[in-house]
Amino acid sequence: MKYITAETLYKEKKDDFEFEIIAGEEYLTSRKITTYDFFRPGLALAGYTGYFLSDRIMIIGKTETSYLKTLTRTIKDRRIATVMRLGTPCVIVAKKLPIDKKFLAESTRRKIPILRTPLSTTPFIHRLSTYLDYKLAPTEHIQGTLVDVYGVGLLFIGKPGTGKSECALDLIERGHRFVADDLIKIVRRGDILIGGGAEKSDRLRHHIEIRGIGIVDIFRIFGVKSVRLRKRIEVVIELVFWKEAKGNYERIGLEKNKKELLGVPLPYTMIPLTPGKNISVIAEVIAMNYLLELRGIDAAKEYDVELKRILTEQEIPSVHYDENIE
Amino acid sequence: MMKEEITILNENGLHALPASRFVKLADTFKSDITISKDGIEVSGKSIMGILTLACEKGSKVILTCIGKDEKEAFKALRKILEGQD
Repeated sequence: MKYITAETLYKEKKDDFEFEIIAGEEYLTSRKITTYDFFRPGLALAGYTGYFLSDRIMIIGKTETSYLKTLTRTIKDRRIATVMRLGTPCVIVAKKLPIDKKFLAESTRRKIPILRTPLSTTPFIHRLSTYLDYKLAPTEHIQGTLVDVYGVGLLFIGKPGTGKSECALDLIERGHRFVADDLIKIVRRGDILIGGGAEKSDRLRHHIEIRGIGIVDIFRIFGVKSVRLRKRIEVVIELVFWKEAKGNYERIGLEKNKKELLGVPLPYTMIPLTPGKNISVIAEVIAMNYLLELRGIDAAKEYDVELKRILTEQEIPSVHYDENIE
Repeated sequence: MMKEEITILNENGLHALPASRFVKLADTFKSDITISKDGIEVSGKSIMGILTLACEKGSKVILTCIGKDEKEAFKALRKILEGQD
């Protein structure tokens, strides 16, 4: 299962969430966070532990803190001990609230780190969930080229030498926006796939290798309007050498082919390559066709409906093209 | 299929020059060639992929060659990664 350690959370979000370590710094590295769900221990502190989710981060806010104040020392100690015994990867105290000393003792005993943030509980939880959702989202790296064409994220795949990069270059020249080439990092958020570059430094982004030229800096050549950092992937286009395509490509468009990436089915088109074929124009048409389909307009289907109508109806409505009126 | 973990021994890691020698050589073979590092796999025939992996000296990559000339390909490409040629 995908996870991040409590240490990663602390290090990456230290400045953002203004985290301070209250206790258990040495346990940060061994504590794994596997879900973006969190857990408020209110009911558990009140005595109900019938349904306890130990894999979740425990958030202590004003409610828990003020409730604990109403308890006697003995009960308080027992309840806190129970909550900490049942476990959590990490306790986070919000709103810079003071924490009961029993938590500190149990932190050492149960090896659970305790962090504190000055942020208010609800906004903090919201931002924490968003961050964890992103960090824990399923990811995959694939070979391809990602371009935003008329706002549609087109992912080009295909063997080396099929001209994915050259196609991207042509699309950029036509005013479309380049996302990444060669190695694409895909992150799944819900049923949406977000693609972007996998570069380890921002200055290495937005480069394309064009065979014969070498590495080309797209940002510098075409400017800020021609690039974007990430884009939702909406259509997959596979470039295939003519010989290998073996007539396996769609001729009418009634059949909607799908390609699955990270478990999400995406519209898929295979384009067989022939000399002189302008792939970028075809890519633009694929993007526009997709936009039309989103609006319920399907050219192939409508053509077929009309064809069936004139094939079955007795009287064909008269449309005269006889007279030359042009 | 030839598949093995290789440690990058190039002094400055796999930078542009050795990477370009690698892809040029990889291109001369019919086999499918891939390099993977930290679970990320890229084609051995495209330079941007290899450069994006950012393989520093001492890092470990897995070189895979699949095809008719996989043995020759593996032997020759391994030399570049290990900085021996």
